[in-house]
Amino acid sequence: MPTSLIDNKESSNFLVGLAYKANDIWYDLVEILMQLPGGELIINYIKASHKNDPWRTLLEALLALFAIKYFLASRYSQDDKDNMVLSKKETDELIEDWVPEPVVVDLREDEKWQIETNPIINGAVSKRVDIQQGDLISTNVLNFASLDFLGMSTDKKVVENSVECIREVGVGACGPPNFYGTQSVHVRCREDLAMFLGAEDCIMYGQDFATPISVLPCFLKRGDIVIVDGGAYVGLQKAAMISRCNIEWFNHNDLDDLESILENLSKDLEQGPLNRRFIVTEGLSENFGDSPDLKRLVEIKNKYKFRLILDESNSIGTLGDNGRGLPEVYNIPRSEIEITIGSMARSFGSSGGFCAGDKDMIYHQILTSNAYVFSAALPPYCAVAVSTIIKAIIDEEVEGKVNPHIRPLKENSAYLHSLFNNSKELSKYVTVKSDSYSPSLHLRIDADLREALDLPDVYGGPGSAVTKALKNGNEELFFDQYYNLESFKLQTIINKCVEAKVLPTRTKRILHHEVLPIVPELILHINATHTKQDLDYAYSVVSKAIIDTLEHWRKTGN
Amino acid sequence: MSKTYDTSELSKHVPNPPVNNLSIEEKAEMEFGSLSSDKYLASAQHDPSIEIRTQVLDEPPYYVVISTYLNYLTLIIIGHIRDFFGMTFMPQYYSAMVAKNGYPPWYSAFESFYPRRLKRRLDDCFARPIYGVPGRYINCFNRASTDYNESFYYDGTATPCLNLSSYNYLGFAQSVGKCTDDSIDAVYKYGVSSCGPRNVIGTTDLHVKTEKILSKFLGKEDSIIFSMGWGTNAHLFTSMVNSKCLVISDSLNHASIRFGIRLSGAAVKVFPHNDMEALEKILRNSISQGQSKTHRPWKKIFICVEGLYSMEGTYVNLPKIVELKEKYNCYLFVDEAHSIGALGKSGKGICEYYNVDPNKIDILMGTLTKSFGAAGGYISANKNICDRLRLDITVNNYGESIPPAVLQQISTSMRIISGELNDNEGELRLQRIAFNSRYLRLGLKRLGFIVYGADDSPVIPLLIYNPAKMPRFSQLLLERGIAVVIVGYPATDIISSRIRFCMSAALTKEDIDLILAACADVGDRLNLKFSTGIAGGERNPGDWKKGIKPRWSIEEVIEKTPEDCRHEVY
Ligand SMILES: Cc1ncc(COP(=O)(O)O)c(C=O)c1O
Repeated sequence: MPTSLIDNKESSNFLVGLAYKANDIWYDLVEILMQLPGGELIINYIKASHKNDPWRTLLEALLALFAIKYFLASRYSQDDKDNMVLSKKETDELIEDWVPEPVVVDLREDEKWQIETNPIINGAVSKRVDIQQGDLISTNVLNFASLDFLGMSTDKKVVENSVECIREVGVGACGPPNFYGTQSVHVRCREDLAMFLGAEDCIMYGQDFATPISVLPCFLKRGDIVIVDGGAYVGLQKAAMISRCNIEWFNHNDLDDLESILENLSKDLEQGPLNRRFIVTEGLSENFGDSPDLKRLVEIKNKYKFRLILDESNSIGTLGDNGRGLPEVYNIPRSEIEITIGSMARSFGSSGGFCAGDKDMIYHQILTSNAYVFSAALPPYCAVAVSTIIKAIIDEEVEGKVNPHIRPLKENSAYLHSLFNNSKELSKYVTVKSDSYSPSLHLRIDADLREALDLPDVYGGPGSAVTKALKNGNEELFFDQYYNLESFKLQTIINKCVEAKVLPTRTKRILHHEVLPIVPELILHINATHTKQDLDYAYSVVSKAIIDTLEHWRKTGN
Repeated sequence: MSKTYDTSELSKHVPNPPVNNLSIEEKAEMEFGSLSSDKYLASAQHDPSIEIRTQVLDEPPYYVVISTYLNYLTLIIIGHIRDFFGMTFMPQYYSAMVAKNGYPPWYSAFESFYPRRLKRRLDDCFARPIYGVPGRYINCFNRASTDYNESFYYDGTATPCLNLSSYNYLGFAQSVGKCTDDSIDAVYKYGVSSCGPRNVIGTTDLHVKTEKILSKFLGKEDSIIFSMGWGTNAHLFTSMVNSKCLVISDSLNHASIRFGIRLSGAAVKVFPHNDMEALEKILRNSISQGQSKTHRPWKKIFICVEGLYSMEGTYVNLPKIVELKEKYNCYLFVDEAHSIGALGKSGKGICEYYNVDPNKIDILMGTLTKSFGAAGGYISANKNICDRLRLDITVNNYGESIPPAVLQQISTSMRIISGELNDNEGELRLQRIAFNSRYLRLGLKRLGFIVYGADDSPVIPLLIYNPAKMPRFSQLLLERGIAVVIVGYPATDIISSRIRFCMSAALTKEDIDLILAACADVGDRLNLKFSTGIAGGERNPGDWKKGIKPRWSIEEVIEKTPEDCRHEVY
């Protein structure tokens, strides 16, 4: 298989190369060694090691053989075994005839609205924004789309400290962290994050979305096992898949299902080799806005001796009295969560991602994590912004009380959820999927209405047309008409809201990237800076827009 | 550095920057040295009358190769012995590698053998914390280790070192000047973060404006900017290719490209670095044979190359690749991470260098980390391609977008380069880096070092071979106030460990004199002058055939090279 070339290059090349070269000069070496003082000692060691551990010698010999084969097979030759024999003329004709597909499929006419409706913000992204969608300009719109949940990115102190940092060190870090790219402010930020979360150590990445995809493959290789929440967002799905380990999915937040999978696996696991085993889930689900029962999850993973990877991108800064995430809610020490992954571009109002856990685990990432080793460090001022926010939160921490930086967000989330949950009329059209502690309110078209509108229950996922198209490389067929239609209707709702000066958002998932089935949703990201009036107003606008649009759709069929 | 230190007043804690009371002018000079003479300028532009050759590689003497292998072998044997006894008698030090309470180790002893046993010995040269602007000088914290680099002690002091380690080609890493002022204004105006994915809320007018400026700069129809160069490559390919497509990739392509291709599931074939004949053979073979097993035609074939290879200092043979691509009807992806901004008369990268129309390249990718003093990556292509990618690339829907201050840095520095701002400052920067690169490279060759790469490329690798000499070289240079990067396996071949000088427009000719003198001295002490002259540096063309090796004295190099290096002499 041609792809194995790449693999080899990355993993086994070193030892393979070595073994080969070692073999190459083996005889010379033995001779030289014999002449050197102490040379015999080494040879005796090798002999002794053979006696003590013939397996190892055998292994090394096999490795050498494999290496020789690998090298003799010429480094760059691709597998020619099943090639057809062609004359030059035939080859030329085949080349002449070959027509490639376009680089990417052009946007269809009925997809173009997606580009046109993406909002462009004139100025800062804060509570009220001026937006432009196509030619349409709306000013002073209430923002329910920002992920800066605590509203910190325009905070005076944060801005001041960031500016001071830029004055000191400029904007970019200009080098990977391992090559003079680590500034003292990066180290401070690492310490602050670790201290805030109660972890031993921490590592920072240049982009939040690149974090899981780089962290997971450090610890998961072929033969290892990972059990992933079946509602995980696409970053975690891809991270699990690129690791090439064995993947199992459990139903979203269904710990009974998880336990039964583990129970089924446990017999095999006891007998097999001690490979690495992980459970992967989110602190606050990106797709559903709910959290797992962490207490039980920790019990389960300890019982079966799995390790836990918790993606807290959404939950840090939003859950727990001081925003320390899901473990703070359940009063579970951070050390129980072996790997925590998070984002600094959400509640921390800055940029980048991070991973926290014990020292050995972090050290291994410093050496081998692809996105850490082969990429420039985070701009220093982004690290300063995070440190500033953490300090602000910690300064106001009072035992047993909700932190004043987090409280408004919690109250707002609960309040807006209660408004939507308590509306009888609205429940005929949409269902609230998220839990009331979630700062993102997720709304789906109600199941009965879906049926009336002829919409499928879910899109994509195993066995669907998109999955098949992906398997066959049929990019034209990635498009799903109903998915496009439903998304368009949600956008219509958003457009109506924008006219009334409220900006909600919707899921913008791409069907062919998702392994798991999905349903489009309307989303309101709640912010600590919103007031009660803002929420009341948003509720009235959004619910009216929903009812108008969906009622019209149901009545007229478009 | 295993001297004994009194550790009582030292700390394992990385210190905060010491107070400095430099005036603004002094600070500016530390970040970007002023030019001493107009003579010290050149230009990085390919001369079309010269045929593009693959680079001539100088080989070290046989004993160097042997001793390098022996060196590795010894390290490996000792490493295994230490592992064997260590795990038996002192398992407490190996806690991360042995199973505990029924949990498998984080990583196996086998997997981590290289980093623990080989890289640890070099650790003093890696991840040295710094503070301040990584400009002409870089402030390195002083540190020492008493436990073989297991941990480091800091005394709170730092040394300013001439900086040949940062990616700062045009010297835009500055805290004084228009770029910084503009970026600070952007923080006041837009805040620190951009608060969400591009397609949700993270697109501000600044994003749109900067993308326009970038497209204009590159001469492409449209562009998309992302917050991380690595992430750009890692996430791009899943939106462009699938398992029925073939990617033909240069053997020295960057890890991020390989990662992206792997994530996409496309089939991969690798051709030896810059070997156009091998590439053509693979193309002919792949198109005529089709997919493996089924022999169905490939849906698409992409050729992936870099403009300037960051470990070799070599350029891609772009005219030839464009010719092949057109002949065989496949697509071309060029990663301009290191070439954009640094090459060509007006800094437009490898296309300008070879005078190739950028629109002949389907996907131009690049990073904004290196020449612009910013961060992030971009993709430039035709509008219809960008429109699709805008909606389809996962980061745009799930991940953060690039923050405002970084964008502003990109937009200001790019306008300076193209001459829209600050008169001819951009042009001057380009001419300075071209001169600096040529001067240092030729100087090193004349001193007798084996140096890779094209004459005017700002990446200057100096071959060391022997792994034990890597940390020594780096330390000796550091003692002389010069910070460099060492690169060994796995970023390079096992044998060709090297020092990589990253040239910058911020350095002056006098700085390079210092660097050459330091290298001459250290090179003698470590016995590193192996070159035969085949790759340049000889006194009279053809000397190498007669066995005359270039071993100029440092005085002569400094006297003659600044003038000589500005011409194609060999
Ligand atoms: C060729 C190439 N592509 C991509 C990258 C990654 O860029 P960034 O550091 O901006 O993540 C690098 C950086 O070293 C590179 O050399």
